[in-house]
Amino acid sequence: MSSSFLRAEKIGMRFGGLQVLSDIDLEIGERSLTAIIGPNGAGKSTFLNVLTGVLRPTEGVVAFRGQAIGGLPLHRIARLGIARKFQIPSIFSSLTVVENLQVARWGSARTEWPEDELLEMIGLRDRRSVQGAELAHGEKQWLEIGMAIASSPTLLLLDEPTAGMTPQETADTAALIHRLNKKLAVIAVEHDISFVRALGADTLVLHQGRFFRQGPFAEIEADEAVRDVYLGRR
Amino acid sequence: MEVAATTLLNALTLISILALVGLGLTISFGLMNVTNLAHGEFVAIGAFSVYYIQSLGGSFWLGLMVAPLAGAAAGFILEWLILRHLYDRPVGAILATWGISLILQQSLELIFGLGAKPVVPPVDGVSDLGLITYPTYRLILISIAATTLLAVLLLLRRTGFGLDIRTVIQNREMAEAVGINTRRAFAVAFAFGAAVAGLAGALVSPLATVLPQMGVNYLANSFFVVIVGGAGSITGLLAGSSFVGGFTSILNYQISPSLAQALVLTAAIVLVRLRPNGFVPVGSRFS
Amino acid sequence: MRDPSWLIAFAIGLLLLALLPTWVDSYNLTVLRDALIFGLFAASLDFFWGRTGILCFGHSVFFGLGAYIMALVSMTPDIPLPSLLGLLAGITGAGLLAGAVGYFLFFGGVRGSYFTIVTLALSVIAQQVAVSWSSVTGGDTGLIGIPPLMFGGLDLSGDVASYFTVVALLATVLLGLWALSRGRWGRILTAISDNEMRAAALGHNAALRLTMTFVISASTAALAGALYVAMAGLVAPDLIGLLLATEVIVWVAVGGRGTLIGPVVGAVLVQRAQQEISSFNPSLWPLIIGCVFVLIVFLLPEGVLSIGTRIRALFRRGAA
Ligand SMILES: Nc1ncnc2c1ncn2[C@@H]1O[C@H](COP(=O)(O)OP(=O)(O)OP(=O)(O)O)[C@@H](O)[C@H]1O
Ligand SMILES: [Mg+2]
Repeated sequence: MSSSFLRAEKIGMRFGGLQVLSDIDLEIGERSLTAIIGPNGAGKSTFLNVLTGVLRPTEGVVAFRGQAIGGLPLHRIARLGIARKFQIPSIFSSLTVVENLQVARWGSARTEWPEDELLEMIGLRDRRSVQGAELAHGEKQWLEIGMAIASSPTLLLLDEPTAGMTPQETADTAALIHRLNKKLAVIAVEHDISFVRALGADTLVLHQGRFFRQGPFAEIEADEAVRDVYLGRR
Repeated sequence: MEVAATTLLNALTLISILALVGLGLTISFGLMNVTNLAHGEFVAIGAFSVYYIQSLGGSFWLGLMVAPLAGAAAGFILEWLILRHLYDRPVGAILATWGISLILQQSLELIFGLGAKPVVPPVDGVSDLGLITYPTYRLILISIAATTLLAVLLLLRRTGFGLDIRTVIQNREMAEAVGINTRRAFAVAFAFGAAVAGLAGALVSPLATVLPQMGVNYLANSFFVVIVGGAGSITGLLAGSSFVGGFTSILNYQISPSLAQALVLTAAIVLVRLRPNGFVPVGSRFS
Repeated sequence: MRDPSWLIAFAIGLLLLALLPTWVDSYNLTVLRDALIFGLFAASLDFFWGRTGILCFGHSVFFGLGAYIMALVSMTPDIPLPSLLGLLAGITGAGLLAGAVGYFLFFGGVRGSYFTIVTLALSVIAQQVAVSWSSVTGGDTGLIGIPPLMFGGLDLSGDVASYFTVVALLATVLLGLWALSRGRWGRILTAISDNEMRAAALGHNAALRLTMTFVISASTAALAGALYVAMAGLVAPDLIGLLLATEVIVWVAVGGRGTLIGPVVGAVLVQRAQQEISSFNPSLWPLIIGCVFVLIVFLLPEGVLSIGTRIRALFRRGAA
């Protein structure tokens, strides 16, 4: 296998009788920006789970910097430099905001972002000593993003980062991602079309477990077939 | 050859007892994710029931019928008073049932006094099996245990209640969604497990030293069974009992029983590492 | 507990223990000394259970292993520095056993109740082995004539000297465990017990961290066990068995899980109560312990020390 940055080959995933992903190929480079869209249940989260090693695909291989990650324990994969924001915020509720960020940093060998800059970035400077359990849903989303950044990844996967955010926050998130993208590769899964438009990235449309279309967002948006399966219905 | 046959029958005796005692544990563990440390006391209650009936002039067989009822009553009360309030607090359930275990042991001692209690077996002597002779009572024990296990298996596979139980074990939310009263299923299943443990206690009472503290050993042994076989399935229960009972019976000829037990536990721990998914069901691993 | 209040409680407790010999007679001093050793044992369990939420039901195995190894090593004829070697061997032995158990269970994905019942089985078996392997362990009666603590020419066997040795060791270990659990180590552990998958996805090796925490906890328990036999002069199977394993859980639960100081207080208070009650009816004690278990679960899940917090909360609510 060539030593490209991230490469998924012929990925298939089935849960019992349910084929959720079939025959998916993906190759992205360092500091690239990719958006994945698709209707509910299309398999987006499952694909991220496969890319981050949470799930082992039933077919195909995922390789990061030339190393196959299937079967590696989760923490080893994380230490390769892959971070993930989960769809459902899963912060540590018994720890404070700043402790959450610390735990995220201690998990990786490198520490690129100072604590204060991170807090600033996610807008939680005033809430640094608040317990995770007491945060509002939007704040949890931000903290989740902050934790993913804090672990200084070279590849960042974001599962619906703007769910539950105001339009202003959504725009801020897109700006933040552009800023981060100068240093690291980002894959964002999102429903919110205005957000994906703001990202203006290479976009993949996942439909019924396959890549249905692929290209710059402007093209995707103009595509009638995509509108039919996805955009048109929303 | 004779030694092999005797060992086999000894192993069968042990395996049947382990399976009967382990049934309740595997139900409460697999069904409710509750670790019941008072389970050994159901065995003691079963044994004491036989002793008590005999001391009143009743027969062993009467005792054998009373024992599961006594076990079921104790199980029902324990579930009702304590466990149902602790289903979402696994550590709380462990601590509380351990407390109940101590209370039950001490109560048995207060009621029946110190010292081991005699239980007379219903039949004496040995049976000639051609190749070897073997104590008749042990043969009866094996047959009663095997019949009970078969009945339990049929109950779980063939009845509506068994279907409910299996659904709850597989997916609790799903079971609730299709309208199964999980609380009631828990309560009935728990009392049922306690009844079978009581029956086991009655069956071993002529062979064992009947003491208020006798339950602890059965508790530890049947936990081995659940550790090895995994919780929540009859197949796992039988596999676990056969592993622990067979291993112990074979080793008992070579080394001391406590060393044999130590080896069995070591083997069980190593098995967990080698076959984490095969022997430990996912549902109970992280709870 | 927040940092300053923990340190204040620690300092007050230490001061109290340091001043005590001026008005307590030597019999009561040795009783307290032994209780404090069990307090150290309770703190060792709390370090693991309190931080990870995983209950070890056989911690007496490590206490007892430390005790037996200490006894055997320090009674070996012509050995240099018997006390020191005994302590080190005991701590290492228990640490290795805990490492093996952790390797097989934690790396095998076992947590929670499964871990609890495996450790429970471990203590049942450890006691049986201690009883039946009588050529080494002395069987039911155990071993007597274990030499008191001596480090070279330094004799720590007197009542006051041994008391202060225990207090000093207890204080040092408590401070060390506290520093560990409030710092990076403890926060990562909290994160793991909150959401293990998330911690792993951030690069933390949860199984390794849990195993190492278990090793530290077990080694501390062994230190307590080794100290105890050196002070008591004898070792018996009840030091490794299930009863002690459950008593230490009571001490921690009564004192308050996750506070490190609370379990020490719990150990001292509960043992005091045990002596009082057993003096007029020895068979009453297990019954009472049983009731205490049930009551704690239902009434005081945070331990006896939490009564203070609760009363304060009540007052605050009343004032508002
Ligand atoms: N662990 C699992 N076991 C069985 N089926 C699963 C599992 N995880 C996901 N699925 C199924 O796979 C399909 C795809 O789910 P996935 O969560 O990947 O969708 P998604 O594209 O992220 O949708 P959404 O936009 O709602 O987040 C769904 O039908 C889901 O029910
Ligand atoms: Mg999704």
